[in-house]
Amino acid sequence: MLETVSSENADSDVTAIRGQDIVASLDDIRKTYYMGALSVEVLHGISLDFYQGDYISIMGPSGCGKSTLMNILGCLDQPTEGKYFLGDQDTSKMEDDELSSIRGARLGFIFQSYNLIQQLNVLENIEMPLFYQGYSEADSHEIAMGLAARVGLDDRVDHKPFELSGGQQQRVAIARALAVDPLIILADEPTGNLDSKSGAEILNLFDELHDQGKTLIMVTHSDEMAERSQRLVRLRDGLVESDDRRNA
Amino acid sequence: MTDATLNSPKTGSRLNRSPSLAKGFNFVRFKKITEVGIKSIYSHGLRSLLTVLGIVIGVAAVIAMLAVSEGASYEAQQQFRDLGASNILVKSVKPAEVEESSRSGFGPPQAIVYGLTTADITTIRNSIPGINNVIASRIVKKNVWNGGLNINTDVVGTSVDYPVSRNYNLRAGRFFSESEMRDHGNVVVLGDEVAQALFPIDNPLGKTIRIDSDYYNIVGIMESEGFSNLGQNQAGSSNSAPSRIFIPFTSSKSRFGETTTRQTAGGVESETVELHEAIIQVEGQDGVIEVGEIIDQILQRRHKDIDYAIEVPLALLRQAEESALRDQIVAGAIAGISLLVGGIGIMNIMLASVTERTREIGIRRALGAKRKDIIMQFLIEAVILSGVGGLIGVVLGIAIPFIISAFWGMTTIVTPLAPILAFSISALIGVIFGIYPSIRAADMDPVEALRHE
Repeated sequence: MLETVSSENADSDVTAIRGQDIVASLDDIRKTYYMGALSVEVLHGISLDFYQGDYISIMGPSGCGKSTLMNILGCLDQPTEGKYFLGDQDTSKMEDDELSSIRGARLGFIFQSYNLIQQLNVLENIEMPLFYQGYSEADSHEIAMGLAARVGLDDRVDHKPFELSGGQQQRVAIARALAVDPLIILADEPTGNLDSKSGAEILNLFDELHDQGKTLIMVTHSDEMAERSQRLVRLRDGLVESDDRRNA
Repeated sequence: MTDATLNSPKTGSRLNRSPSLAKGFNFVRFKKITEVGIKSIYSHGLRSLLTVLGIVIGVAAVIAMLAVSEGASYEAQQQFRDLGASNILVKSVKPAEVEESSRSGFGPPQAIVYGLTTADITTIRNSIPGINNVIASRIVKKNVWNGGLNINTDVVGTSVDYPVSRNYNLRAGRFFSESEMRDHGNVVVLGDEVAQALFPIDNPLGKTIRIDSDYYNIVGIMESEGFSNLGQNQAGSSNSAPSRIFIPFTSSKSRFGETTTRQTAGGVESETVELHEAIIQVEGQDGVIEVGEIIDQILQRRHKDIDYAIEVPLALLRQAEESALRDQIVAGAIAGISLLVGGIGIMNIMLASVTERTREIGIRRALGAKRKDIIMQFLIEAVILSGVGGLIGVVLGIAIPFIISAFWGMTTIVTPLAPILAFSISALIGVIFGIYPSIRAADMDPVEALRHE
């Protein structure tokens, strides 16, 4: 079922097959960490293109550079070398404020530990990215209410995160990630803290998002989850080991 | 440019809405951050309360201390003002050496001669220009009788201008007249306390009192207040107004004589004092202090012993004003220190809060918060903390002087400036001591912050 190709060929294939725009593009990304005199290169030159509407899983053993890659994709960290285009913008030379803006406007984050703000209720958590984008109160309220309904929590909007189950909290996080209608949704082991039933619910939600044309990039340890995505990128020792597309 | 493209993603806005961009100061944004700040402060109720305690105490102390010292200086200044700012008081004081010599003598007690004389006053009048009037008084302690009631009081023999010169008003009747003065008239004006003591029920006006063997007609009663307690222990003359009575100077001289006797622990003591006190009224306030110095020089030349005292109310007023200022500076410094301590408390708790909320900072940064958004958030929280503390402090600071006034009868004055100043300082402290924790929060690496447990 899985067709193994080199990453460069995959790019042209997908463009040909889907005829879709590239939403993000990594060009020979290297990342070196400096600890005093010691320097460790974690990513040794990664080039990947991501297409509109793609559903990508990133897998790899721990220490392979998954987290670092996700941080760079999330504009939380910057590559030491190489270029990262998000939409039509090169983010690799951006200032801190520009990175904040681009994170807020073009990226949606879903974390393993949900990362909701405990003092705020469901609605306020969903509204938060909109607040930093300067949406009016009325607009944010309407958008957040719509998203709460979409993840099936419209009857819980007044609840605080600790009053919700893990699955519900993760759905709030998904709603929050969708708030600004981002270019890419980045999910870091989104079901890692969940039981299998809640995990399955979250994955169903991801499938829906994918059907609606959202671009999803997910880090996972589970082959079962990776099965559900269209494209599987395996990393090893800071390099792309394989980049497989499922043709179904 | 970046903002414009960022906010209209090329995938097309789901709701076809373009966000109203925040340019500079945005009230809605400010309101939202403030709400979040209040929530987070509220969620740590007790801790927040303890944090602001320093500010509360500081602000309350500033206001209360200023109110008390303001009240005290007002009272002191009022006393001196009552004495008359253009007056100079000269009093007779029994010199210490004379007292010694009289005790060691044998035989019948020798009358001690000391104090001011009419000749002194004449010299002062003739040698210093600009003196409007001199009101000289003799003060003799006597038992004053109304039938069976009696009171021991100061009988002041003085001139008709006495009440005017000391801002001292009549409650009823009149002061004695020039003609009564000329005639050595047996007329008397009672101080309020004496009137109360001798005439508890009936109106004393028109009645008589007895001093020694002479009867005096009561023509007036003085007000109870309006006299100074200043120099109460000087010249053997209690200055406290209510327990005095006033007769014409001439009458005092002819009825009581030059020499007065009184009982002391050692037996009977006699003294001859021509004048006990003199109020010298100077034209205008400008030269008062200099005139006082000249009088001192004149009296030094004329008197062997220092048997007189000069009081210049204006000079005392100046001193009182200076010491009031000093008091206020000290009070301000103490209160300032407690505000500083309060500010350090706020910084401490803000730093703890920043560490505690590292993860929240990471989340907010990931969701698009810029450094300045984080700085704003923590700064506003610090200002809310110190502002609430300041507000509680203002309420307490206004209440405490009231309580002090009610329970201890002290005059306290809360000037509108004090609460405003104290509150502004507390808000400013919030900003100053909030800056460092806020910057620390904003400078966190988002990746590290998100990883924080």
